[in-house]
Amino acid sequence: MRRPVSSLSLSSSLKVKMVRAGFQTTTDLQNLDPETLSAEASISQQEALEALQAARAGEGAASVTALELLQKEEEFRSIVTFSSQLDDALGGGIPVGKMSEICGAPGVGKTQLCLQLAVDVQVPQCFGGLGGQVIFVDTEGSFQLQRVMDLAGAAVRHCSLLAEDEEQRVAMTTFSVETILSNIFLVRCHDYVELLAELHLLPDFLRSRPKLRLLVIDSVAFPFLRLHDDLSQRTRLLQGLGLQLIATATGHNIAVVITNHMSTRLGGGQSQLVPALGDIWGHAASIRLLLRWEESRRLASIVKSPGHMDATVQYQITCEGFRDADQSEQLQRKKPRIQNNQ
Amino acid sequence: MSWDHLQLKPQIISAVQRAQLKSVREVLCVSGPDLQKMTGLSRSDVQELLHAAATASRTHQPVTALQLQRGECHRLESGLRLGTGCQVLDQLLRGGLPVGGVTELSGESGAGKTQLGLQLCLSVQYPVEHRGLSSGALYICTEDPFPIKRLQQLISEQSVLRSDVPRSLISGLQFSDHIYIEHTADLDSLQVCLLRRAPLLLARGLVRLIVIDSVAALFRCEFQPDDWLERNKQLLTFSSMLHNLSQEFTTPILCINQVTDVFSQSANSLSSSSSSVCPALGLAWANQVMVRLMMRRLQGKVFLGDQSSALRRLEVVFAPHLARNSRDIGVWREGLRAVLDPD
Repeated sequence: MRRPVSSLSLSSSLKVKMVRAGFQTTTDLQNLDPETLSAEASISQQEALEALQAARAGEGAASVTALELLQKEEEFRSIVTFSSQLDDALGGGIPVGKMSEICGAPGVGKTQLCLQLAVDVQVPQCFGGLGGQVIFVDTEGSFQLQRVMDLAGAAVRHCSLLAEDEEQRVAMTTFSVETILSNIFLVRCHDYVELLAELHLLPDFLRSRPKLRLLVIDSVAFPFLRLHDDLSQRTRLLQGLGLQLIATATGHNIAVVITNHMSTRLGGGQSQLVPALGDIWGHAASIRLLLRWEESRRLASIVKSPGHMDATVQYQITCEGFRDADQSEQLQRKKPRIQNNQ
Repeated sequence: MSWDHLQLKPQIISAVQRAQLKSVREVLCVSGPDLQKMTGLSRSDVQELLHAAATASRTHQPVTALQLQRGECHRLESGLRLGTGCQVLDQLLRGGLPVGGVTELSGESGAGKTQLGLQLCLSVQYPVEHRGLSSGALYICTEDPFPIKRLQQLISEQSVLRSDVPRSLISGLQFSDHIYIEHTADLDSLQVCLLRRAPLLLARGLVRLIVIDSVAALFRCEFQPDDWLERNKQLLTFSSMLHNLSQEFTTPILCINQVTDVFSQSANSLSSSSSSVCPALGLAWANQVMVRLMMRRLQGKVFLGDQSSALRRLEVVFAPHLARNSRDIGVWREGLRAVLDPD
């Protein structure tokens, strides 16, 4: 890739001498040996060697075209939520390589969605899943094994009903409640320091487990809201945390899902429910899902996403997990399709 | 803080001491570049320092859910539950109160919240195979004095309530010896109780249930309406004390709460129920609670033998492992018991 010589990381006097000698870009330095360069630019052999190495090092960090990025993104599937309406609105599901935030009032279903994603990321690839593992960081103590087993059992039943060809039937032999449980790594953090410590140790853990495709933190708000004495430190720590999580998501190609509480904001004589942890934290996640109640209905809204329109869908929490609101209609639609293929 | 046990290069340790970083926590709360500036160490040395500090702070390695299910790690989610004494209610709660979190029970006055609190103080004393925890209870009263007469009545009628337990076992348990009662009239004395007395009792294994009756009383009367920011801070401090106790000693904590009236269901409603009351202390408290139960007094009476009771309903408002559901109950001489629908 062509770069001007002035952009290389060398001392300025060296760069000036090279430019004066007529070497404007790195293409001029191609296929040159150090003796020729030192003679032409009247610099020492050592400096010539350094310059050529710098020019070559630059070529490694080539920039990527947008088309290559798109192709790379399409390679990585999203994690389905088992609510087809929400998956459609998200363009497939929770994206890998990005940070998504789930906000909502207590009891609306944030932990349920996280548990559902922890099961769904493991769906075998021949069924349209990622066949990956998950690390679940629990700061509230809301990871209940009974519930995970409910969701795992329902997912296994769902996939066995859909298994049509030989490949899928073989995949079902390794997709059982036991294997699902064995692919969920649980970490319990009691305060924000333990949470920060876990995230420092995460890169090593990710390197030793290349099948990890999802990191869930439930919730980020709980330990940080305790830090109400020193708000500036809290903001600083949260900013660092946000950057670290985004770097982890992109660098290791995993989906990062975090949950946040709601808090009340007073203004203009009215009170409003807003996501907790402030506006600066709000910039961290690429996608923000807001779960809320409206009378007796549960609604999920996409309130922030660079790639999708703001949309609202209705969902429900059944004994099987996170599902579309009109689940019975969904099941009836699926049956005729299976019969047609047979 | 002795840094030697972290197994770092001596130059890193001396740089840390020169920068006056006193603990592993302090190191973790500073970002990488700031640490470089403070200690003058290179980037890789700072990474090593952070890695060692993080490893020292970590309480346990990541475990798989399968290991949890097999019971290989007792400190974490063990699935242990504290039964209520009534099998139908235990079914509603899928076993009973979870031992690792804060359960809230709210309701109007006279609904029967204290009754359930007392009943749990007795059920905790049974052995694990009878859905207890083989230990005592700490009952903290913040408003009304402890209903000692009612407790005596419940104790004398335990064999009627717990017909599933052999009589010899029941008569062998000295119930009143294992219930520790505290009266705290204000927030300060409640804090003292939670920071000093409770850990002592828990560490000695004398109690494995804490009931606070009620949380709303102290927070509602000690603060003016304008002080809600200060009140929220105190609430958070209080709830973190509860969570620390609950986690450290795997103890269920029951917080009894009052209710407030709801005047209009605004667009930003917090819950789905269209009832006219909701639990007190607002959103800040609701975010701290793992299991939220509500007890309601309904119209009508129910009869059991020669006794009659006003009809009540225990409802699961939210919990990570429970479906929204409810059961009708009555309050009898022997305690709270669900009313089964006639088939």
